[in-house]
Amino acid sequence: MSSMTRTLLLLLQAFAIAIAGAFFVSDAVAQQQAASARKDLVLTGDAKCTRCHGPDDDFPVLAIGKTKHGTVADGRTPTCTSCHGESESHINKPANATERPGPDRTFTKRSGTPIAERNDACMNCHRRDSTRSHWEGSQHQSRDVACTSCHQVHTQYDRVREKLTQPEVCFTCHKEQRVQVNRPSRHPIPEGKVVCSDCHNPHGSVGPKLVKRDSVNDTCYTCHMEKRGPFVHNHEPVSEDCMNCHNPHGTVVENLLKARPPFLCHQCHTPHGPNVPQLLGRQVVPNSVTTSGKNAVNITMARGCLNCHTEVHGSNNPSTTNPTPQFRLR
Amino acid sequence: MKKSRQALCRTIFGLAVIGAFAPAYGQEAADAAALTRPDSTVSLGAGLVTGNERDRSLFGQYNGLRDHRGNLLLDLDYVKRDDASGTWTTFRGRNLGLEIPELSFSLQRQGDWRISGDYSEIVHHEIRTINTGMLGAGTTTPTIVRIAPGGGSDLNFEMKRKAIGLSGDKWITSGLQVEVSFKNEDKDGTRLWGRGYDCAAYVCTGTQNAANTKWAVLMVPEPVRFNMKQIDAKLNFTSEKLFVSGGYYGSFFSNSYGNVAPNVPNQLYGPTGLVATLNPAVAGGTSLQNVLQSPMALPPDNQAHQLYLSGNYAWTQKTRSTFKFAYTHATQDEDFGSMGFTGAPTVLRSSLGGVLNTTLMQFGVTSRPMDKLSLLGNVRYEKKDDKTPIELYNIQNTVRWDNSHISNRKFVGKLEAGYLLPGNVRATVGLDYDRINRELPGLDVTVGGLSGLRGETQETTYRGELRRSISETITGAIGVSHSKRTGSDWYSLSTIPAQGLVYGGLYSRDQIFQRTGTFPYNLADRKRDKVKASADWLPMERLSLQFAAERANDSYDPPSQNGLRKGGMTLLSVDAAYTLSERWKLTGYGSVGEQTMNEADRANYVADTKNRNTAFGIGVSGKPSGVLEVGAGISRVSDITKYALSPDFATSAANVQQNAIGLPDVTFSETRYGLFAKQALSKNSDLRFDLARVISKLEEWSWGYNGVPFVYSDGTTVSLNPHQHVTVGSVRYIYKF
Repeated sequence: MSSMTRTLLLLLQAFAIAIAGAFFVSDAVAQQQAASARKDLVLTGDAKCTRCHGPDDDFPVLAIGKTKHGTVADGRTPTCTSCHGESESHINKPANATERPGPDRTFTKRSGTPIAERNDACMNCHRRDSTRSHWEGSQHQSRDVACTSCHQVHTQYDRVREKLTQPEVCFTCHKEQRVQVNRPSRHPIPEGKVVCSDCHNPHGSVGPKLVKRDSVNDTCYTCHMEKRGPFVHNHEPVSEDCMNCHNPHGTVVENLLKARPPFLCHQCHTPHGPNVPQLLGRQVVPNSVTTSGKNAVNITMARGCLNCHTEVHGSNNPSTTNPTPQFRLR
Repeated sequence: MKKSRQALCRTIFGLAVIGAFAPAYGQEAADAAALTRPDSTVSLGAGLVTGNERDRSLFGQYNGLRDHRGNLLLDLDYVKRDDASGTWTTFRGRNLGLEIPELSFSLQRQGDWRISGDYSEIVHHEIRTINTGMLGAGTTTPTIVRIAPGGGSDLNFEMKRKAIGLSGDKWITSGLQVEVSFKNEDKDGTRLWGRGYDCAAYVCTGTQNAANTKWAVLMVPEPVRFNMKQIDAKLNFTSEKLFVSGGYYGSFFSNSYGNVAPNVPNQLYGPTGLVATLNPAVAGGTSLQNVLQSPMALPPDNQAHQLYLSGNYAWTQKTRSTFKFAYTHATQDEDFGSMGFTGAPTVLRSSLGGVLNTTLMQFGVTSRPMDKLSLLGNVRYEKKDDKTPIELYNIQNTVRWDNSHISNRKFVGKLEAGYLLPGNVRATVGLDYDRINRELPGLDVTVGGLSGLRGETQETTYRGELRRSISETITGAIGVSHSKRTGSDWYSLSTIPAQGLVYGGLYSRDQIFQRTGTFPYNLADRKRDKVKASADWLPMERLSLQFAAERANDSYDPPSQNGLRKGGMTLLSVDAAYTLSERWKLTGYGSVGEQTMNEADRANYVADTKNRNTAFGIGVSGKPSGVLEVGAGISRVSDITKYALSPDFATSAANVQQNAIGLPDVTFSETRYGLFAKQALSKNSDLRFDLARVISKLEEWSWGYNGVPFVYSDGTTVSLNPHQHVTVGSVRYIYKF
């Protein structure tokens, strides 16, 4: 091959490379231009996600724009990648991959992302919220409950934050309470007038059972302050723990009592008289004119023991007139 | 030149492409704006409910549909955001046409400040109807009027809460925020209450016979006019590692009423239902009539002030702490005179002067020293210090008693470790410790009806859990725990005539086993065992299943054979969701639960109480067309409590027979059928129809059984329609904007 020919071939090769390069460069530039031309729809830098995840996608992400997370004017709001990670392999499927890998962090039920990592994505921002200060070490945190087990992020109406639907979310795990709130003696939970988060802080608290305030009683006092006392005549179990006698989620006994008087009262107190709980019309020895007021019917029917021991939560009556009120009769 | 042309061509091509896509981009942007703009809706309609008030007493005890058959349905959600500033304006109204409205307003510049206000009403209707001759029911001076049972007027008591809340917060700097909230709540109404007295010989003279009675039980409603205020103001500081919140929480209770003092006639029904004169016949002095007319205390005003410091600290990325310190000063010093009590001895204070100081300290650490290992430790100490002055409130000649303190100290500790074992099994073991030290009442304090007390109880719980994610579609967990509660020595209570019931000293073991009295269950030794298992299973893309099972046993060991002896609970439940197609979905659940209790009053009865609850629900929902959504469901709750009474060794012959008669079951059930349809009228409007049928049954014996009512001494009776059927239908127009 002559040097002329070699030179010509080299020039042809260079030309071919240049042409190919030009096409490659122009394609890359075109892609870059297309990407830059494609505007972010909701969050800063979301274009690389929303180019695929549109409104009809299985993951209709745009609705995040309706939420606090979608308020771009608040500089603290996240981008898609703040929560889901940069997810390079998801965006640019590796050539050797048969299926497109998922994002770096996912939050669905089938997600392989460790729950602690998922929750960190939320807590990195929300840890500075006073209601979540005790998330670490709380029952939900230590039992690996994911934030997204309860919360829906990409929707304006998060079911757990709506009073009518919140209990359904809690009942996903708390089955016993689902039954109890439908009993006749209950708080107005099915009506959405009192909801789980009125008494509990699911994000952690200092009190037992994640109660909202520092103790069960302090939580009850937020609505039932009249029970706080102290009274001239206290009833110690009352001031120690309301749940000694009440089940706040619901019972079939009036006033959410755990058991029906006299059985509830007889768990601590020795009954007066040889009484078997009994009903009018079902007595071996019917009432006579000399039947005592402390008879078995009076401790069983109507309000039971509370027919006379009315002031069961405590009495502030300082009277010294007989009968004195220390037995919480008045 | 060539270069220029190429560039031009690309530009033209590019412009052409951009031009071709420009409308699409514009359209997408418009759609995106609609998809990303917060929705507002208003819903207006009407609802009809069948039956009368008594037919709806269970259904309508809280939902605002008890009183009226026709109801206006109005709900509103106005949500606007100024995108440029990030300022939200929200106005929300719920149940605006009913007696339980809720209104809220909020203005917020996100990340900077927020102010909000809300108003809500809750009404609770007493499910039972009271038939009485009483005049002035619900006042502080009701007049008891004796009537023939059933011959009075029907009263339906109700309790209404009205609450106003105001709150706001402001970020002063990027790490400093102030939050303030205030709530004012009024609670007004009438509560089914009562009084009764079996006149002791030292109060009433004379004997009981056909013409005279020494006792009476009356329905005396509690008049309620409470006001509650709460204020919480806090300053939050946050940095990279520290979050701390310090503030003040105050709560204030006031009661417009100090006492209720009924006017009672001197003749009421005696034990057999015959008219009898209250003993002694002469009113005044220490007669039964006078006792029944004496003022009954209503809850006194009280207040509590708390200062607190709470937060968390990140020692490292993987080791964090939480902490809280709080000090609460609670007082109750309502003047006895203002409550209407003039009987206090002059040597005493004019008020209780109640002071209760509570100190709380909590500190917790969590750490993940390795990816597979997590550690947790937490301690909580609470000291409740009752500083109320001790005075001799009860002076009956030489018999005198003082008020009691409710001081105690509680310590709770928790240690927990979790480790990821091979096979993706996470094992968690934990140790919980719970100790309460109570201040024992002094020598002059009466503790009525108790056989003994102990100052300290301590409970230790050992627990473990295995949680395994078998695959992406199956997760399961099983946990067990064992608790043991013990305590200090029991103190006996003995009767000393001159001083009432006072502490006698420690019980010996022999004395304990010979005791026939009842000891408080919350102080008794107890063993508690629990096992809990759950599984989430996604057997196929369209089906998800959830299983849960729980069993717990309590075994009490009080110093005698009386009182609560055993308790138990079992729960089994399954939930399922099945996607029939892209348009239809099926959901369902079922559960069975049982609670048992064994307690004894050995001389009279042994009670084995068993409560069994079954519940199920099934629902289907779908979109038969692009403009129609429909759904239907049925749910049922069924609850039965059995009271099995049996005699024991010391039971008398008459009581053996009475045990055999026993007590009837208490049953409750509720079945709900529901349908809905939502038709889209336009892009912005829907029409929604709802129809539901609710069948409730409550059969219990507290107020009567088998046609024999419990009759108060004035002839008042209380009743409930045990079988209630309600149909409720509504139509609503929903507009979105």
